[in-house]
Amino acid sequence: MARVLAVRDLSVGYDDDPVLEEIAFDVQRGQVFAVLGGSGSGKSTLLRTLIGLQQPLHGRVHFTGIGTPAQAMAPPQFGVVFQSAALFGSSTLLQNVLLPLQKWTDLPPAAATAVAMGRLRLVGLERFAHHLPSEVSGGMKKRAGIARALALDPPMLFLDEPSAGLDPVTSAELDELILTLARRLGVTIVLVTHELPTILHVADQCILLDRGVRGIIARGAPRDLAERSTDARVQAFFHRQTSRLA
Amino acid sequence: MQASFTLTREPAAAGSLRLRLGGALTLRDGARLWRDLGAAVRGHGDVEVDLAAVDRLEGGAAALLAATAMQHAERGGVLRYTGAQGDAARLLELYDCGRGDPCERSQPRQPGLLSDIGTFAHTAVGTTRAILAFVGDLVVGVVQAVRRPRTVHLGDLGVLIERAGTDGMPIVLLINFLVGAILGLQGAIQLHRFGGDPFLANLVGLSVVRELGPLMTAILVTGRSGAAYAAELGTMTVNEEVDALRTLGQDPQRFLVFPRVLTLVLVVPVLTLLGDLIGSLGGLAIAVTYLDQPSIVYLQAMQLAVGLGDVGTGLLKSVAFAIAIGLIACQRGLSTSGGAVGVGRATTSAVVVVLFTLVALDAVFTWIFTLLDW
Repeated sequence: MARVLAVRDLSVGYDDDPVLEEIAFDVQRGQVFAVLGGSGSGKSTLLRTLIGLQQPLHGRVHFTGIGTPAQAMAPPQFGVVFQSAALFGSSTLLQNVLLPLQKWTDLPPAAATAVAMGRLRLVGLERFAHHLPSEVSGGMKKRAGIARALALDPPMLFLDEPSAGLDPVTSAELDELILTLARRLGVTIVLVTHELPTILHVADQCILLDRGVRGIIARGAPRDLAERSTDARVQAFFHRQTSRLA
Repeated sequence: MQASFTLTREPAAAGSLRLRLGGALTLRDGARLWRDLGAAVRGHGDVEVDLAAVDRLEGGAAALLAATAMQHAERGGVLRYTGAQGDAARLLELYDCGRGDPCERSQPRQPGLLSDIGTFAHTAVGTTRAILAFVGDLVVGVVQAVRRPRTVHLGDLGVLIERAGTDGMPIVLLINFLVGAILGLQGAIQLHRFGGDPFLANLVGLSVVRELGPLMTAILVTGRSGAAYAAELGTMTVNEEVDALRTLGQDPQRFLVFPRVLTLVLVVPVLTLLGDLIGSLGGLAIAVTYLDQPSIVYLQAMQLAVGLGDVGTGLLKSVAFAIAIGLIACQRGLSTSGGAVGVGRATTSAVVVVLFTLVALDAVFTWIFTLLDW
């Protein structure tokens, strides 16, 4: 497996107040890589730094073979699905997916529409193409967000809390979609979550962040960590124990 | 730029077409793939496209292949993709229009003019009904508030008065001064032609105090505070903060609406009085500079022309305007739905409905005052 993302000596945070200090990890091509941790552990700050929306305090993020984040003049090299899906409320789902295609390809309108409809079909939303985001459910919004993120065939996707706020069935459907993207389309996926069923079902590798040490306290396959780790904090996370009981 | 794929025609049985795609089918060459493949299959019935030589297929290109097949089927033909291997075969299957439900054509909802008119009329009736119901709720709320004053949330009243009153004063004064000056200049030009210079104070004074002062002040308050109330309450509604208030046993009417309406009832008449004063001074500036009239002459003429009753009618209007602005803006805000777009829509709706209501109220008041000879 080829390495697609290398993070080295990375410190992230706000105004010289680090949330995470000198962390390092690699993501391999085609992997589903989960960034885990409790609330306030720095998951979302790390994600914002990885996708270029926030400057690191120290260290570097290196993408191999897919360009670098936040290159304003070049098409985005990876897709991002935000926690709220962040669809544009005044545009239909189809128009949301069309947006990057119109900006970055020379496809004629009919072809761009065909590609966008294909993406919506992939995520099971073709019938809702002309609905506004306010007219569809939370799970549909997430799936539409994935369709938009996939619009330009990025080799890598970042997903922030994909299952947050969804019912178990919808959440499981989304997990299957993530697996389809990774296993059948070969998309490398970095997902930030603390949903245990999602982690155990879809993630190949993970890192577990901890607020106390401002860094990574465990890394490996989620099932291995859940079953074999002797670290009380890891056990507490995977077995939903409170800190008092751990 | 050279395409990264090849499209060649292969020998086939009579009446059918056999094409061969090779190389990399990517979104970057999507426009060319769409054009070349579409042109090649057009006019043929049975078409087979061999993908055995395709060494890379991206999802976007797979979607284009599926859409081309669908278009061909709609023209009565059959387009089959054969020979795809590995990842390409898996991708084609994912985007295949034959999988599950057939692919749907993109048909945006276009209701048409008649439907638009019907929707507009229905919305207008619904909005009017909602505002009237809201007024009823508020009246009930006011009665209950009078009975139990401690249930009314007046903690924000100071801040609300500062925002609507003190912060809005400069623009209200400036606009009213300019309106008085413009009215004075236009009036002075006409009056001077007929030797009616002494009557400029009558024209400006009565117009400003009875009509323009209250109306211009109310319009400015609508633009500043009314729009802000609609946007603020709209955002609170879509963020479920208003629902949270209800679950905490708080009535949004008494917690959010009543303080805002009360604020405007207190602030707008004061702003109107100041606006009347500064608007009349705008007329004075023109009288002094354009007509070379001594300021004392203008002021004495105004004292004779404008009575307390005139100021009173203006203030009465301003109170009614304040209630209308507060009620409509808050009602529009609290009926918001649909996220950020809904907030924008509610704000626009609030401003439009309030402006219409202000002008309508002004006309009604003027008519009543004329009938009563006030």
